[in-house]
Amino acid sequence: MSKVVKMLKNNLFFAAIILAYIVLSFFSPNFAIQGIKNSGYYIKEMLMIMPVIFVLTALLDTFVPKETIIKYLGREAKTKGVLVSFVLGSISAGPIYAAFPFCVMLHKKGATVRNIVIILSSWAVIKVPMLLNEAKFLGLEFMAVRWVLTIIAILIFSYIADKIIKDKDLPQIAEEEKHGVTINTDACMGCTICTKKYPELFEMESKKATIKEYSDLDSGKLNDAIRSCPVLAIKYIK
Amino acid sequence: MDFFTLSIWILTALLLIIFFIKDKKKTTDALKKAFFMGRGMALSIFGVIFAIGLLLALLPPEEIAHIIGGQNVYVATILAAAFGTVTLIPAFIAFPLIGTLSSAGVGIMPAVAFTTTLTMVGVATIPFETREFGLKFALIRNGLSFVFAIAIALVMGVIL
Repeated sequence: MSKVVKMLKNNLFFAAIILAYIVLSFFSPNFAIQGIKNSGYYIKEMLMIMPVIFVLTALLDTFVPKETIIKYLGREAKTKGVLVSFVLGSISAGPIYAAFPFCVMLHKKGATVRNIVIILSSWAVIKVPMLLNEAKFLGLEFMAVRWVLTIIAILIFSYIADKIIKDKDLPQIAEEEKHGVTINTDACMGCTICTKKYPELFEMESKKATIKEYSDLDSGKLNDAIRSCPVLAIKYIK
Repeated sequence: MDFFTLSIWILTALLLIIFFIKDKKKTTDALKKAFFMGRGMALSIFGVIFAIGLLLALLPPEEIAHIIGGQNVYVATILAAAFGTVTLIPAFIAFPLIGTLSSAGVGIMPAVAFTTTLTMVGVATIPFETREFGLKFALIRNGLSFVFAIAIALVMGVIL
């Protein structure tokens, strides 16, 4: 029972939507049916892009070193960072939420808030296939003017956003830094990979990984466990 | 599947092969990571999708066009921007709709405002965005996008 409650708590929005459907199907079932029918298209759209985004994000996360991301998207990248962000966002595909996991990964690796906002915004509005469609229905002039104005707008408001939002406002940076090995239990999904990589140190307790008492650490096994954690919940600070 | 989506699949497949040859173990670990990342976000994503489905059922695009069509141009622009934030309509439905809207006499401003907020600002995606980036980030990014969408619309109304 408590498991269900906890899951609902972590997914309040999803629970609220399901509740809305249930309530609606009592009062006007037609709306609920229409809603589910409409969702069908979006599920197809999601399935076309999300699996590949997750794989790409995980691959880049594993193989692209932090220094590279900092070099191209970090504080010092300046104009180059802005340019790279616009290109990344514009050649993307899929709805804006497809950019979320990708951008979270980039920010963790040192991309600035400004560049994240640019990627998200251009991912949403300046995609090439979308521009072609726009030119077809609304005319080339309309498309071109809107495109230029949108880029200017994104340049300005990403700058403003960067001034207001600090890196620590984003959840993954806000974690407290403790010494030794720590597990962020909010992030842990109970995948048990760490207990397989380093069974002497990690164990499962009510579906979450916990740390056994230790005196010596095998740094090879520990690093392996830290790297394998799908949600990057394990931290080690000397 | 459009060209860009297809390119991303092909690019990812190529990277997967290259990395797999380079480091088999790290690549399989990355795939596991991708799977758990997807599992962790699945409910948020389905929440967004079913929310959009419901919003579109309660407020179909034709209805939106009808409401906007009857207003004066500035009210219409703000209304269009507001409607754009609650719904997330695929471009191939949105653009013909916007085309009819602008030719029906409401002018160019509401059309622009609608197009921009439609994709960039999302009430349905705010809970998901908050979960990933924090409330402050989600509110500020969406708020600024909304304000600038109206600014873009006003400027375009003057230029075109």
